[in-house]
Amino acid sequence: MKHAKTAILGAMILAAAALLAVGPRGGRGVPPGCVVVDYWEKWTGTEAAQMKQIVDDFNNSVGRDRHIHVRYLSMSSVNQKTLVATAAGVPPDVAGLWDNQVPQFAAMDAVEPLDALAAAHGITEATYKPVYWRGCTYRGKLYALISTPAAAVLHYNLRIFREEAAALRRAGCDPDRPPRTIDELDRYSRALDRFDPADPKRLLRAGQLPTEPGWFLIHICYWFGGRLYDEQRGRFTLTDPNVVRAYEWVADYSRRLGQGAVSNFRSGFGTFNSTQNAFLTGAVAMELQGPWMANYIDHLKPEMSGLLTDQEKRSPPPPRLRSGPYEWAAAPFPSAEPGKPDVAFCGFDVLMIPAGARHKAEAFEFMAYVNRQEVMEKLCSLHSKNSPLRRVSAAFVRDHPNPYIGVFERLSGGANAVTVPRCPILPELGDEMNVVAQRVSLLKQTPHEALREAQQRLQAKLERFNARHGK
Amino acid sequence: MHGIEPGQRTGRTAARRRLLTGLAFLSPWLVGLSAFTLLPVALSLYYSFCDYSLVQRPVWVGLDNYRDLLGDPVFWQALRNTLHYAAMAIPAGMGVSLGLALLLNARAPGQAAFRTIIFLPSLVPVVASAMVWLWLLNADAGLVNSLLRMAGLDGPGWLIDTRWALPSLALMSLWGVGNTVVIYLAGLQDVPAELYEAAAIDGAGAARRLWHVTLPAISPVIFFNLIMAIIGTLQVFATPFIMTGGGPARATYFYSMYLYDNAFSYLKMGYASAMAWILLVVIVVLTALAFWSSKRWVHYQGR
Repeated sequence: MKHAKTAILGAMILAAAALLAVGPRGGRGVPPGCVVVDYWEKWTGTEAAQMKQIVDDFNNSVGRDRHIHVRYLSMSSVNQKTLVATAAGVPPDVAGLWDNQVPQFAAMDAVEPLDALAAAHGITEATYKPVYWRGCTYRGKLYALISTPAAAVLHYNLRIFREEAAALRRAGCDPDRPPRTIDELDRYSRALDRFDPADPKRLLRAGQLPTEPGWFLIHICYWFGGRLYDEQRGRFTLTDPNVVRAYEWVADYSRRLGQGAVSNFRSGFGTFNSTQNAFLTGAVAMELQGPWMANYIDHLKPEMSGLLTDQEKRSPPPPRLRSGPYEWAAAPFPSAEPGKPDVAFCGFDVLMIPAGARHKAEAFEFMAYVNRQEVMEKLCSLHSKNSPLRRVSAAFVRDHPNPYIGVFERLSGGANAVTVPRCPILPELGDEMNVVAQRVSLLKQTPHEALREAQQRLQAKLERFNARHGK
Repeated sequence: MHGIEPGQRTGRTAARRRLLTGLAFLSPWLVGLSAFTLLPVALSLYYSFCDYSLVQRPVWVGLDNYRDLLGDPVFWQALRNTLHYAAMAIPAGMGVSLGLALLLNARAPGQAAFRTIIFLPSLVPVVASAMVWLWLLNADAGLVNSLLRMAGLDGPGWLIDTRWALPSLALMSLWGVGNTVVIYLAGLQDVPAELYEAAAIDGAGAARRLWHVTLPAISPVIFFNLIMAIIGTLQVFATPFIMTGGGPARATYFYSMYLYDNAFSYLKMGYASAMAWILLVVIVVLTALAFWSSKRWVHYQGR
């Protein structure tokens, strides 16, 4: 018995020793003498793998020369994990977050200001398109650099336009071009709506729905000349007549098509990243979307993007070399304001250095690398997004997987490009505006009532925040 | 001489050694409980009186968080939704699980197979069952509405209609009654057979035996399940988080979801801590009410 015990104990000690000797190592693959920069990023799947290519490029070039090794970790809920790690004093050196975290984290001193580091690397306001530079700053300080940006524009189904050319012409619309004003958009939409002849309450196709996909519904007021927040006065402006007008437009669709019909119709849609995506199936003919849509169409419905052969589907060539025609197109989402064309909401993903990060200089070295023109263009091509930089190469536009990238470039660089407001309680604003959009589209409240209530709640929260944070 | 005798001293030393040995074996649990439960609970009470964003030092604000909560309409809506849901889900869950347990307790062919089938959904991860129910309750293409359409009825927009979303979640909660059924079954099998025999001799039918024998005999089990249901339903989070995200228009926005949003989206950890303590008070009050009422309807054997 005693021998058996000794043998078991010995085996356990041996196993533990073996694990210690040859088991997994945190630092495996790190060249000796390198500073390890921990980089946490939100992307998963293909987008994560594409960012990993950039990280590998860095490690094999600048990183090798300057003895910096970036350790890349892709994760869900990266904002919350970054925050908890920051509170615990062990944050990553670089965190890949969303645009609405810039003012929120900056107001809470959860991230490091980057002005000095950026200036040392020659990154200035002149480097970025104005809308993106504005998005990276809070109260005059720079807190983030862009990883990938986007702009929301109108996507429309050319096949449906072609097939319904007669109906569009009868409605006074030109089937050979997209709508250019909100009135036109509504007219095109009405001409393309289709109900089930056997059940007039059953919607079979919508020309356009403000709630599909609905991601930009909280920013819809920008196309109506409204704004959600007055940064100078530190006040929400939700009851501004132009904001109310925008949500009246949203409510009009529910009234015209029937609130129940729209809800039932939408509940039959698959998720965005599926072949049952409403735009891909033709359930909606027009929608507000970002430049990434081209990549999703390539993968989920390649025929729609001119990818006809198996070889093309496996390895999509640049748009100009594809064998088939495109059955979709992109154009500026119509503005309701006469004389103010090319309005675009520009969101973006950011790289930030959490407060207390151990290797700030090395972390910024990597961030600056990502923001080099050739690197940024490679990443944005892989993700099918526009570039945040003012300087864009001809090759980027020519070989980009999105054939309409020029539209995104023009709009994001234009005077009417807008981004998330510089408001310290931005996530609360987003949630409240989502509820406003739902109440309005479900016809539970008038736009003015819903916006007035949201205004009161948000303003009270902002004032409390300001009082407590001495801002 | 009143000093300690040598024998007594040896006995005390041995007892002390036994105590220390016991504590040494308990120490991993004690350390874990202190570090990961007691300390966070105590800190959350402190933070509930602070303005605390996780990344900045907590600043004492006294009762401000509690005062702000009382004036926060979203807090009241989330609390109302949670209590409304509990008022539907608890009685429905208790009734259905007891009914199933009574059926499964009857001697019938395939009893073991039926017990397994009833328990199986409890083993399905919440995320998986939520996804299945999302499609079952889909207004346009869901199985439930398709069946209703075949019967000539127009099904509601279960999860997309503000009037139906909360009842739909309560209905869906019945999917996971397997655990409760097992506890009821154990209780039912402990009811002495002679009580039924005596009742039968006295001429009691099945309904009277259920009312006068079975229910009083398993009343401690019913009471236990009631307490667990109160605690569980007031903390409901995962299913609505996955299925509705609190919508439509906050119709299924539960207390725990608002607490989570305050803590991790809005970075108001002090506010969220105050919410947690208010939830604790609500649960304690409801549990105390259940205990108070139990004197009238819970019968313990041997008392």
